Amino acid sequence: MSVGPPSLPSPGVPGAAVQTERPTPAPTGASGPSRREGDGGRGSFVPTWPLIATKFLELRKRRGLMVAVLLLTVGLPVVVLGIRLLFHLVAPHSYGPAGSPSVFAGLTAPMAEFGFIIAATLGATAGTSDLADGVFRHLVVTGRSRLALYLARLPAGLSIVLPLVAVAFALLCFVTAYAGSPQPAALNENGVSVPLHLDQAQLEGWLLGHPEQAARAFSIGPIGVKAEGQGIVQLAPATPTDVRGFVEHNIAGIDSSYTNDELSALNPADNEMAKIGLWLELEVAIGFIVGLGLGSLIGQRTVATIMMIALEIIVTPILANVQIPYFVNGQRLVVGVAMDQLRPAGMATTGGRRIFGGHGALGIPPMPTWAMVSVIVGWIVGWTVIGAWRMATRDA
Amino acid sequence: MGSAYSAAILAASRHHFRFFGLILIVVVLAGIVYLAVRLAARRDTRPKARRPTGTDADRRAASIGSVRSPSGPAVAAAAASGDRTPREPSRPPVARLAGAHNGWAVETHGLTKRFGPNVAVDDVQLFVPRGCAFGYLGPNGAGKTTLIRTLLGLTKADAGSMSLLGVPVPSQRSRALARVGAIVDEPRFHSHLTGRENLRLLAAARGPGADGRIAPSLERVGLGERADDKVASYSMGMRQRLGVAACLLGDPELLILDEPMNGLDPAGMREMRMMIQSFVEEGRTVLLSSHLLDEVERTCDAVAIVDRGKVIRQGSIHDLVQGASAVVEVDCADPSRATQLIGEAEGLAAAIATRNDGITLTLHPGATRDTVAEINRRLVEASVAVYRLQESRTSLEEWFLSVTSRLGEHE
Repeated sequence: MSVGPPSLPSPGVPGAAVQTERPTPAPTGASGPSRREGDGGRGSFVPTWPLIATKFLELRKRRGLMVAVLLLTVGLPVVVLGIRLLFHLVAPHSYGPAGSPSVFAGLTAPMAEFGFIIAATLGATAGTSDLADGVFRHLVVTGRSRLALYLARLPAGLSIVLPLVAVAFALLCFVTAYAGSPQPAALNENGVSVPLHLDQAQLEGWLLGHPEQAARAFSIGPIGVKAEGQGIVQLAPATPTDVRGFVEHNIAGIDSSYTNDELSALNPADNEMAKIGLWLELEVAIGFIVGLGLGSLIGQRTVATIMMIALEIIVTPILANVQIPYFVNGQRLVVGVAMDQLRPAGMATTGGRRIFGGHGALGIPPMPTWAMVSVIVGWIVGWTVIGAWRMATRDA
Repeated sequence: MGSAYSAAILAASRHHFRFFGLILIVVVLAGIVYLAVRLAARRDTRPKARRPTGTDADRRAASIGSVRSPSGPAVAAAAASGDRTPREPSRPPVARLAGAHNGWAVETHGLTKRFGPNVAVDDVQLFVPRGCAFGYLGPNGAGKTTLIRTLLGLTKADAGSMSLLGVPVPSQRSRALARVGAIVDEPRFHSHLTGRENLRLLAAARGPGADGRIAPSLERVGLGERADDKVASYSMGMRQRLGVAACLLGDPELLILDEPMNGLDPAGMREMRMMIQSFVEEGRTVLLSSHLLDEVERTCDAVAIVDRGKVIRQGSIHDLVQGASAVVEVDCADPSRATQLIGEAEGLAAAIATRNDGITLTLHPGATRDTVAEINRRLVEASVAVYRLQESRTSLEEWFLSVTSRLGEHE
């Protein structure tokens, strides 16, 4: 019995064809250890729980990466607040309480920066580890949908980084609320006590009712000029009429200054803290998703990570701070710019944007809300599609 | 001062009470999710007893561990005990291929794969019968791995059609691969995970049932003792065996092994050979690619010879080598007379070379031992004294070199 096709031509070697009788193929699975039909759901793009759990395991077992993730998420507030708590405990007169509005504001910004970067690193690792370790082809050979393999990485990675950021932020909130400085009963403006939590109308009413204090608190005047002899000019204090005129024309600016001072003097309100926490989680999730997509696209973890760091600490600050002529809409397409616009007020007042880190208020005109949301959703969906497409079409 | 501070803290506490209740709930929920994921991930870290359910999946899993050929336990026991010379099982008879009339395990028609101007797989028609060990033999760079990668859907074909176990690929790739296990190139794994964890990763991709085959598969390949060591500490041979264990997770009807002997020492090669033969005895089909002629000849029942992307021969080793020319050396008293006698007889020899002490005859392909007897009879009847008559058949290596272009290159 020879094995082969009915008449296999043998190019270059005459007379070497192997003749055989071609068998009639039997129905699929007619022989073998066991008979099975169907693909057992492997063709579905929906990732299964075991697929997610084992990918989670694969990421969690990367000790070096996990140490870095822990340090840059939970480690940062633990170290800073721990030192402050310790110092305050040892020398309470020299060192203030660990938690304060300025510490809160000062820590949330680096938490967002480092959270984004470490999430992007984790994403790039999740997107490239199977490829780099040569396991990708094993996975593909199982017949499992490549899309399912990709989508399983999303919950696996997010379930690592999001809880850690939540814990870190909760720790910060806890220390700010329970180990912080006492909250003032009134706002101190240039030595004048101004009531807290006033809206613009209430503030205007208070200013008009207390013209002398208003003039001192918000540096209104000197407006009047009183001439004296021999060329000496003495500035006269603002009169109530002057204050009234000034307040009526500049109430928006005064209110803005009052609000900023209030935010920097007080711990954020509950809802503001919740907003900041959610914003941090969104920032980190975007970092992971974009890192995953970019890693999957490029196939190299190091390059993807470097690109993500450059995006976060160089490209985004420049584009959010410097208005390029005729390119403002292009600048707005960067997810970091949109995220800065979405930034809760409690974070936006923590200082201006700086190159090489630091976030703050946008330096370019804001975009419409729908555009901001579209940019953020577009980046999430777009990079997921790009990463999944590359994984589905890549040679394994 | 102190009481004012306490009052302020109390006020802050009241102020933030609701919010921190919310934060606490979120943190607790996140912790629960984390623990759930982690528990699920650790679920099978330890070897577990096979579940005594009667599902098909369990029965298939049991077949990996307990339904073994006589050689199966011998291989595993030898590997586990360090005894590197287990008894080699008998080769399955080539004649069993005659019973393979239930469809091809692998079938390709006009399969072509190009990388730019280079044609790695060139119009390949391949037919692998079921239930045998089939060698895909070719020199380095002949396109063996590319063909396997194409079959498995790791890369797209440029032309042609193919099917695995009668299921067309890539149109029904998931269904076809459900019954296929494969190692492509060297087996590589996550080195920071243990062997068992790596298999869990692959079992999760395989689907229900595969998880229960992890422990039996590891035992089968003799890695039971080292299953919880990190792969980084594995030798090349252990990684190869782990690769085979990964193949077994799907209880495959067809195993595709790409250069499985690479990097193995002689004892490891022997173990691998025995393992492959035991798979065949269980009714599985093994397609292995190799450039090691000797190993293919020892392991496989049938081969396809590939050179520069083209399949130039395929069939059972016995038939192919039989089809090659045999050489008969005759030492005799009168070489000239012997040459004349054999030359006058039609069909006895394809070529005759005269030496000082005898003649060398090249027989026609397909010549049997009766031909040799006839040569002897004619010489003796003509009173030519025959001192020695020796038939030498072409080995697979000689035949391989004769049919591939590499022979010309070496010359």
